[in-house]
Amino acid sequence: MSILVDKNTRVVCQGITGTQATFHIKRSLDYGTHVVSGVTPDKGGEMHLGLPVFNTVKEAKAETGANASVMFVPAVAVKSAMKEAVEAELDLVVCIAAGVPLKDMLEIKSMLKGSKTKLIGPNTPGIITPGEARLGIFPENIHHRGKIGIISRSSTLTYEAVIETNRANNLGQSTVIGLGDDMMIGMDFIDTLERFHQDKETEAIILLGRLGGTFEEDAAAYYKSLKKKKPVIAFVAGDAVPFGHKMGYAGDVITQGHISAQDKKDAFADAGITVVNSINQIHEELLKLFPVK
Amino acid sequence: MNIHEYQAKKILSKYGIAMPKGKIAYTPNEAKRVTSRVSLRGPWMLKAQIQSGARAKGYFLEEKAGKKGGIRLIKSRRDIIKNAEQMLGSTLVTPQTGPKGKLVSRIYVEAFTKVKRIFYSALVIDRMEAAISLLFADIADTDINELALNHPEKILKIELPLDHGIASEQIRQVLEFLKLNSRSARSLKRFINGLHKAFLENDASMIEVNPVGVMANGQLIALDAKISFDDNALFRHKEIAKLQDDYEADERELQAAKYKFTYCEFDGNIGCIVNGDGLAMAVMDELQDKGYGAACYLNVKGGVDKDKIASGIKIIMTNPKVEGILINILGGFLRCNLIAEGIIAAASEVGLNVPLVVRFEGTNKDEAKEILLHSKLPVIIADEMDEAADAVIKAIEESD
Repeated sequence: MSILVDKNTRVVCQGITGTQATFHIKRSLDYGTHVVSGVTPDKGGEMHLGLPVFNTVKEAKAETGANASVMFVPAVAVKSAMKEAVEAELDLVVCIAAGVPLKDMLEIKSMLKGSKTKLIGPNTPGIITPGEARLGIFPENIHHRGKIGIISRSSTLTYEAVIETNRANNLGQSTVIGLGDDMMIGMDFIDTLERFHQDKETEAIILLGRLGGTFEEDAAAYYKSLKKKKPVIAFVAGDAVPFGHKMGYAGDVITQGHISAQDKKDAFADAGITVVNSINQIHEELLKLFPVK
Repeated sequence: MNIHEYQAKKILSKYGIAMPKGKIAYTPNEAKRVTSRVSLRGPWMLKAQIQSGARAKGYFLEEKAGKKGGIRLIKSRRDIIKNAEQMLGSTLVTPQTGPKGKLVSRIYVEAFTKVKRIFYSALVIDRMEAAISLLFADIADTDINELALNHPEKILKIELPLDHGIASEQIRQVLEFLKLNSRSARSLKRFINGLHKAFLENDASMIEVNPVGVMANGQLIALDAKISFDDNALFRHKEIAKLQDDYEADERELQAAKYKFTYCEFDGNIGCIVNGDGLAMAVMDELQDKGYGAACYLNVKGGVDKDKIASGIKIIMTNPKVEGILINILGGFLRCNLIAEGIIAAASEVGLNVPLVVRFEGTNKDEAKEILLHSKLPVIIADEMDEAADAVIKAIEESD
């Protein structure tokens, strides 16, 4: 088992003919991901990486049965690409682009409300279920299948956590998800924690939080409310960042609150989550949970 | 991107928001010339145009600028030129500028407007709620930063939809909250809808009118204005992008921004190069845990252009505060070998005279290590982040 994606996920790549998409989709195909088609407007009918290219997501779904999209379109085209994916009722969209305009994200969030499509990202490395499906840009060579679920709000720290599971007697990962580095994102800690709790293969979960927003506090409250809990280890980045740095005007403080990384760690600890102060301590905590026999 | 008060006011006035008459001046003579066009008899306000709040509470570094702050009430015409001479070319320090302050290159001459009372208003994006929030607060006895930190409950927050303006019952809610007379209702509605429209049409990330004044006849008037724009949407607004004032940004920050990297400075002595904000924070936390701090960090994000990466690395290598460099790259989108090639290119141009520790993981890491080993540069290679932090600290201590 795993969450959200596995070998049965039928993947369409939006923006498949671009350079980065080509580089990463080829790697995903080599990895064994079930990529079935691509979409690039005006290139319908062509073949790329041995896959049929369509003009629209709707056609790609109808012709190749795609149910998830990995989106490599540039930030400025994300809104229209999302509209297509939502209208085609895909189950999942993974949006890699960083720098989607805020107003576009407001519109995308309202599009997603009441739709059946779930969004991972934007500004994410994506999601990977080792050995089955890679939707994104993960360095696949560090991943090994195992029992730890990873959810992260920081792209690059995700890799750090993966390496920690390897350092811990190769416990490996069930599924690894980068939620996206932005403040306006699709799925959050709660959506994914819930799924990891339902997944039999996942025995413990790593949460990587960061300064900004209240995702960590919300996750802590949710975890606290669970009757049956799997062990969770959390790290929160941002202790050394002075408050207000680059934060600008009072408006940000009003909507986001005066929340430090320590506040977030306290919320996690209060909910019964193990908090580490350095990301490189994660493997030690994992070894406490799963001692080498 | 932020703009100056006079620029923000010019934009807002197009959306029907009332404000005092004003003109911008770059020289004392210009200030004198525009004075009578702004108001025949005065009084006038002379306002230093730097991008910072609390300008009135600020002070000038130069003695010639006198003891008064960056916002001055001028009652007689002959004082205009004197005060303009004092402020122009001087450096204004406010609680928000840091001790270096900011150079005043232009001043805004505005008609003084008598108001009965003032309040705070802003439109911001609430990113957690994915909504546009309208904010109001009574700031008669305090300022908005103090309220936000200690009494957030005293700030009214109303969500506005994307597709239409404010509803009548919300107008009543604002009137009641601010204890405004109902004769201000029309003016308030016009004000809010003007802000809302300006916000959406220009891809703003924040508009702040602080303070708004209430005149004797109940009409609202914008006494100050700030607009921040969404950098990622500036491509849709070429005219606004031109308003960027390069004097306002740090030189190294500007250089980094040119390559679409981010650069920040802190108080420590270690230069960090990373690919990701979260990673930057984690590296800084790691250094802090060990009693050290970052001098600056450069986030090269998912950069895939070797020359840009080399230019970015040069920004760090040439920062005199940097006594050691820690490069921590987790390649996904970004390929480690490009960083390695960038390091060599940068070092061959500006030299490498401080210890450099590199930690690569992910896409093409072995190739990257190989490239560095062959370069014969005195680079220390580490396998884990904590190890890399230890190595750079040790190298700095040894070189002392």
